[in-house]
Amino acid sequence: MPQVARLHAILWGVFSMGGFIAAFLLPVLIYLVGIAYPLGLWPVAGQDPTTSILDHRHLGTLFLFVTIAGSLYHGIFRFQSTLTEVGLARAKRALEAIGYLIIVIGILAAAYYLLLLNPSVLSLP
Amino acid sequence: MSKEKPFPEYRRKLGPGWWLSNRHFTQYMIREWTSFFVAVFSLIYIYELSLFASGAKVDALNLLRNPGIIAFNVLALLFTSYHALTWFYLIGKIQPIKMGKTTSKPWQALLVNIVLLLIISYAVIEILVLR
Repeated sequence: MPQVARLHAILWGVFSMGGFIAAFLLPVLIYLVGIAYPLGLWPVAGQDPTTSILDHRHLGTLFLFVTIAGSLYHGIFRFQSTLTEVGLARAKRALEAIGYLIIVIGILAAAYYLLLLNPSVLSLP
Repeated sequence: MSKEKPFPEYRRKLGPGWWLSNRHFTQYMIREWTSFFVAVFSLIYIYELSLFASGAKVDALNLLRNPGIIAFNVLALLFTSYHALTWFYLIGKIQPIKMGKTTSKPWQALLVNIVLLLIISYAVIEILVLR
């Protein structure tokens, strides 16, 4: 298989994995953080959900990283592809470059902030 | 020597609103636009984490209580759920499972994955929030 085709297959594979993550893990995170907490709905009582999740050290940090990184990759990859279908086909290369830049910076930033919030996550559980 | 094509290549030009002309195209495009909400929520949450990490937890929590952000999050949940349901249906269409002489239908994959989604969501709440 040519190298470009292999890279293409890997990128689409990661996109597909991100699709599963966004489907199975993102809805509950949006509900907890963005709706249940500000509106005082079940199951959030008092403490904000991000702090509750991060209190679970390895598992909580892993959950947040996988959910955010997978969803960001899937969302940006699909969104830039959608833009080419609504009249921006000529800017395909530029959109791809901007998209991958946002993905890389976003994932690195998420990893960095989660490490700052939970430095012990690198040690064994 | 390069061979000349016997006829010019025809490429149909599509305007930005081509997906409004057919119900299936419109559904397809709505499904694709769910990615906007998935991406923007992820970016907002990374910003939230940056505020948490820099000690500005109060600002992060105030941002979550902003009515505009709450409205966006409600929309994001609706679109993400739509993404989940269409994704589950697609799995059943792309990769049907053969069991003897019968082959699974897309709606069966949809049902099984909805049950799985509910179990995973409850497990996340039970293990990471309630404990």
